[in-house]
Amino acid sequence: MQKSLKISFIAHFVILIISSVTLPFLMGRVQAPLVISVDLVQIGDRTNIPYAPKVSDGEKTDKKIKDRVVTEQAPPKIVPKEKPDAVPLPENIKQIKELLEKRQNPVKVEDLTKQTSEFEKKEIFDPNKISALIDKSKKDNAEANNKPSLEATQSQQKNVVTSKLTITQEDAIKAQIFKCWNIPIGLPYNENLTVRIKIKLNPDGSLVSSEILDQARMSTAGQTYYKILAESALRAVKLCNPLKVPSTGYEKWREMQLNFDAKEMLKG
Amino acid sequence: MLFNNLSKVTLALVVTLFLGACATQQATTTTTTTKSDDAYTGTETVKFLADGVPDRVFFSTNKSDLTSAATTTLAKQATYLKANPTLNIVLEGHADERGTREYNLALGERRAIAAKNYLTSNGVAANRIKVISYGKEKPANPASNVLAWSQNRRTVTIKTN
Amino acid sequence: MKYKIFTIFILFFILTSKSFALVSVDITRGNLDPLPTAISDFYLDPKLGDNIKKLQLESKIPELIQNNLSRSGLFFALEKKSFIQRPEPAHNKPRFEDWIFIKTQVLVTGKISLEKEDRLRVEFKLWDVVSATELSALAFYTTPDNWRRVSHMISDKIYERLTGEKGYFDSRIIYVSETGNKVDKKKRLAVMDQDGYGVKYLTLGNELVLTPRFSPTSQHVTYMSYFRNLPRVYLLNIETGIQDLVGDFPGMTFAPRFSPDGKKIIMSFAQEGNSDIYTMDIKTRVVEKLTDHPSIDTSPSYSPDGSYITFNSDRSGFQQIYTMKSDGTNIKRISFGEGLYGTPVWSPRGDLIAFTKLYRNKFYIGVMRSDGSGERLLTENYYQEAPSWAPNGRVLIFYRETPSDSSGRGGGAKLWSIDLTGYNERLILTPTDASDPSWSGLLSGK
Repeated sequence: MQKSLKISFIAHFVILIISSVTLPFLMGRVQAPLVISVDLVQIGDRTNIPYAPKVSDGEKTDKKIKDRVVTEQAPPKIVPKEKPDAVPLPENIKQIKELLEKRQNPVKVEDLTKQTSEFEKKEIFDPNKISALIDKSKKDNAEANNKPSLEATQSQQKNVVTSKLTITQEDAIKAQIFKCWNIPIGLPYNENLTVRIKIKLNPDGSLVSSEILDQARMSTAGQTYYKILAESALRAVKLCNPLKVPSTGYEKWREMQLNFDAKEMLKG
Repeated sequence: MLFNNLSKVTLALVVTLFLGACATQQATTTTTTTKSDDAYTGTETVKFLADGVPDRVFFSTNKSDLTSAATTTLAKQATYLKANPTLNIVLEGHADERGTREYNLALGERRAIAAKNYLTSNGVAANRIKVISYGKEKPANPASNVLAWSQNRRTVTIKTN
Repeated sequence: MKYKIFTIFILFFILTSKSFALVSVDITRGNLDPLPTAISDFYLDPKLGDNIKKLQLESKIPELIQNNLSRSGLFFALEKKSFIQRPEPAHNKPRFEDWIFIKTQVLVTGKISLEKEDRLRVEFKLWDVVSATELSALAFYTTPDNWRRVSHMISDKIYERLTGEKGYFDSRIIYVSETGNKVDKKKRLAVMDQDGYGVKYLTLGNELVLTPRFSPTSQHVTYMSYFRNLPRVYLLNIETGIQDLVGDFPGMTFAPRFSPDGKKIIMSFAQEGNSDIYTMDIKTRVVEKLTDHPSIDTSPSYSPDGSYITFNSDRSGFQQIYTMKSDGTNIKRISFGEGLYGTPVWSPRGDLIAFTKLYRNKFYIGVMRSDGSGERLLTENYYQEAPSWAPNGRVLIFYRETPSDSSGRGGGAKLWSIDLTGYNERLILTPTDASDPSWSGLLSGK
């Protein structure tokens, strides 16, 4: 009686411990760094990738960054702007033509991509190697005088789990795929045509696999537009292979979900 | 001395004020003529049915109303036709090229009818008058300018026998 | 035993409380460049006779397909001389690396072989070379002299597979051919393939002809003619050349169109300065009056399901666009912008009405929804009018005139086309000056 009680007590205790620490350890995966994962972009900066310029470009990106800081997991919902149905004066035609010309001649983004990956190399903690982590944090504390956000030390551990990429990492990947994605011009812009593709990458950024997450939609009748957009998105992923990826943080980006949404481009 | 200067200045001011008032008064009187009263009033392209009887009347843009010049001409035509009761005519209605083709066909017909109605209400028998519209298909002046367009907005009277 | 249960319990807990967060990246930009496309020469079966070989269909058919796709503005055709793989192996099993190397994303291959005595089998395949998949494979059977139609039909299939929209290449255009001095132009009805090939004149030019439109089957044309100096609407059978007067109206009839079922002709009839809209049943000859207003009502156009009509009226004092039910009831004005609106024409997709607008002495071709909202002007010019829709409701054809000097020199009219998005404004080459274009439906009927 005593023995079984003891075992029961121990078992309960163990389970409690385990459940309070969430388990990835035992899976062989280190997902949660024991220190704050800091976003090393200076606050207020936004990555200035000069892709095909749009009229209200700056505002949108700012808004997205703000949203993301608040909600960690879900991608921010894009609320379509309500445009009043105005009768365009002839002057608008010139504006539209300029927009079209700009769109068809996106500025190259290679330089900037290079920049951001160098930036990453210096700053990102490798959560796999905790000892190295300790050293790095000491080093960084010594170096970074004008980066007050870098105050993470062992004594200030918080169990904040972020599996997201930093803004610069994300923008770097986006910029590449933007260049590779040839959007079928004929698609209607007022339908729900978001294609979600899950990709798996090797550490060198080469593609392991890519798959469409809404497979059922591909063979549904009346979803031709979706199918065509999905095919173009798959081509984009393959054309961009291998992707330029950060040299660290593999766990974060080895599997990604890319949400292809052509609405903004097609709306014009 | 100062008083002199001052009075000169005030006098100048008063005068300019008056002039300004005149100017504005003139401006107000000219607003009665609107842009759409651009019927041709010249004599180019005009032929004659007989001495002193012009063969055509002109219209303002998008309009089929008869101007006073038009009624004067049509009155002369009516007199001439009544004096020559065996003559029959066709009224050709035309429009300028600054409009859509189908609407211009209808506008030409309206202009021809406007002339016909005047003639019939002034004693010319309706069965002597035929009507046809050419829309913008047969301009009198092929140039592309305001003058040419005004010369093309017309109803032409043509003797058919 | 107890420990086994213990570990199982723990493992169970581990597995269920796994927390997994997949990084999600939004891709909201790309490029809107035309899709890089490679159209390979087709493989010609060597067993074909010399009379077929001399037609050179193995390069002619792909050339036509390439011209169609390029002209649409949605495809960028790569130079043939950069191709690595030969037509036959490419058609049987493309070596995708060869095609990726020349930077194409899709590939068209084909094969021409003998079906029976005088019938050819033309087969094509559409490949996604990046994803290494076959997107489409179809075969057509036809006589050799019909190779152009086959090429257009293949173009439509490719277009549809890659854009999701129906194609428009297997169609014809009718227009008014213009020659001579502006004061006294000679006008003839002319018909051609949508790519400009095969112009045929349907009238002699002895009398003025205006605004021709195809019937839904493309077998007939309705137009207005000044035959015997009486401006009236006529019906012409393209094959036989026989022209029939439409109705027995005591005055000018004009602006004719067919109803979508091909049974009626809708038009304007002018009398005493008033133009109203009428229909006439072609078989029964029953005439119906649809509008009854002292204003000018003209340029009527049916919605594709035949339930509504859009038309041009100046009942408000100026030319504007209206819609009404096909029985003449429920008249609604839909254009409210500044300027004059004319020539409304309903898209075969039913979603939009195209029109001509005159504003501050400039002409515009535009579209708006059938309730008048969403007005968009596509192009501006010194003079242009009369848009007509391609069968897929994506492209508009219209005509432009340039200003002329006092001797009538200059003023030439030409046909132009533009995509619904405002892209790809193109001149359409015709042997003479041209005006009043009208696009047929798809010749295959669908």
